[in-house]
Amino acid sequence: MAELSDNQNLERGIVVRDLRLAFGDTLVQEALSFAIHPASIFVIMGVSGCGKSTLLRHMIDLARADQGEIVFDGKRLVTDDRAERAALQRRIGVLFQSTALWSSMTVGENVALPMQLHTKMGAGEIADQVAFKLALVGLAGQQSRMPSELSGGMQKRAGLARAIALDPDYLFLDEPSAGLDPITSQRLDALIMRLRDALKLSVIAVTHELPSIFTIADDSIYLDNQSKTAIAHGDPHRLVEHGPDRVRAFLKREPIEAEETESI
Amino acid sequence: MTPELIKVETESGTPVVYLLGDWGRATRQPSAAQVAETLEAGGQLRVVVDGAALDNAHPRVAAFVHALGDALARKSVSLETRDLPDDISALIALASPTPAAPERSRRPGLLARVGRRAGAQASIARNTANLVGHAMALTPALVSGRAQTRWRDFVELVRETGAASLPVVTVVNILIGAVLGFIGAVQLQTFGAGMYLADLVGIASAREMAAIMTAFIMAGRIGATFAAHLATMESNEEIDALRMIGVSPFEFLALPRLAALSLMMPLLFLYGATLAIAGGMIVAHIVLGTPPVAFVERLQDAMSLSEFVIGFVKSIAFGVLIALTSCYIGLNAGRNAAEVGRAATRTVVVCIIGIISIDAVAALCTNALGI
Repeated sequence: MAELSDNQNLERGIVVRDLRLAFGDTLVQEALSFAIHPASIFVIMGVSGCGKSTLLRHMIDLARADQGEIVFDGKRLVTDDRAERAALQRRIGVLFQSTALWSSMTVGENVALPMQLHTKMGAGEIADQVAFKLALVGLAGQQSRMPSELSGGMQKRAGLARAIALDPDYLFLDEPSAGLDPITSQRLDALIMRLRDALKLSVIAVTHELPSIFTIADDSIYLDNQSKTAIAHGDPHRLVEHGPDRVRAFLKREPIEAEETESI
Repeated sequence: MTPELIKVETESGTPVVYLLGDWGRATRQPSAAQVAETLEAGGQLRVVVDGAALDNAHPRVAAFVHALGDALARKSVSLETRDLPDDISALIALASPTPAAPERSRRPGLLARVGRRAGAQASIARNTANLVGHAMALTPALVSGRAQTRWRDFVELVRETGAASLPVVTVVNILIGAVLGFIGAVQLQTFGAGMYLADLVGIASAREMAAIMTAFIMAGRIGATFAAHLATMESNEEIDALRMIGVSPFEFLALPRLAALSLMMPLLFLYGATLAIAGGMIVAHIVLGTPPVAFVERLQDAMSLSEFVIGFVKSIAFGVLIALTSCYIGLNAGRNAAEVGRAATRTVVVCIIGIISIDAVAALCTNALGI
């Protein structure tokens, strides 16, 4: 776990400092400060509607906060320098909640497109890369299928193959196991850990699936939707015993005091 | 006549609502709001509900008691229950009290509403200008093939907008030409001027009808498709996925559509105008007995190339309008299923208004220029 001092700058990894997330006048989360170390799996957890996905959208620059900053390897995420921005974007892979595979393209084309646009590789090299990336996620030989022909779990894996197409340093996963059965979801967790080890990826996952959290997380943050900030930070195995009440209840799947049930 | 389900009596100053009989069989049940109103008239602070006389424990009773409790609570009257069947009590205990409806925010004043509308219109105008500027700025990249877009998508779009539209363009234009022919034939015949039918059909088709009808078809067929497709991509996070690999959604999605439509519209116009004139020629032959050769000869005298050029240029403008409108609306749609349908409808409506407006302005200009 990383305790964050004010002027700490990780040479590698992500630092989030005093971030405030809001939709118009509605505050989502504030005073978020944490660090994510390289080649680790960092889980953003919390109950539905607490702002997990919103935080993720801010960390990949699909939304901009009015306060606070996000720093990747010592460089600020929000920049007006287009080249710098593009370079950073290339190092970030994202698996969206709805997988977001481009529905009019085949699985192979989905994985190939980022490479076609961002590298100078020829068609043959790209085809080799696509085949390899699909094989990594267990979809070898599925290049010519359309996303709509795949099952939910296969779509997630195809989305994962696309997310790692450019060999990113950071992989963001938005509810990776949402809508998957326990077995498929366990396989996806195993795959994520294998990819972290093999590709030295830093994985940032938004999830509220307890088995996933305990299996994959090296470090985590709990976003509380009452105090509108992070109330716990650390390894979930430690938080489940020593964390604040609400975090322990969340991690043990226990009822919280009656007054809070209305927030379901 | 429905059997009585409740009876209200007063016991030592407190109203008691007796629930009676079999609520499951009754076709109608008393409204809690009405009962609450009659109870509240007495100015009581406490009401008792008695369930001893119920035949069975039907869940409808629970709904009634719950609603009655809510209605009374709003008037600060407390509700007590006694002798309710256990199942009913358990069911009521499970339901949480309905929170009081939040006070409806006051409707903003006229000035504020006018201001907001104006602000919204101004932002649409700004976005539109932005879009047109963006499109123009990217045109050189598109022509030279440097734009971030897929050649294969473009080819597919050309097929979809062009070849796949041929059947409906064919039918509509032949029929429009034929209708023009009929109207013209009947009117011109009365003056013995049937010979001039070729002028009427030819000029009307080339200058106006073929371009407008083809544009309407494309607005409905292609504009709605584009808008719905892009709106669905937005709701599936596919647009976000494009942004994440550093691709401008406009460049990748709107530009090939713009190119395909502005390329195909004038070609479809030429095709449609020819068929409309053919439709008129067939009618002239049937109704007036004009031989096709004579019709074509008359056409050559009556029409100049400029008639076709006017329709041709307008149809390019219509193509650009449909492409930009549908892509703008599609990319700015909300993230749910209803928004997809709304995007498609709005595209068609805006396109139709836009087509007519462009046509009217073009008519004024050509008139002023004397073309």
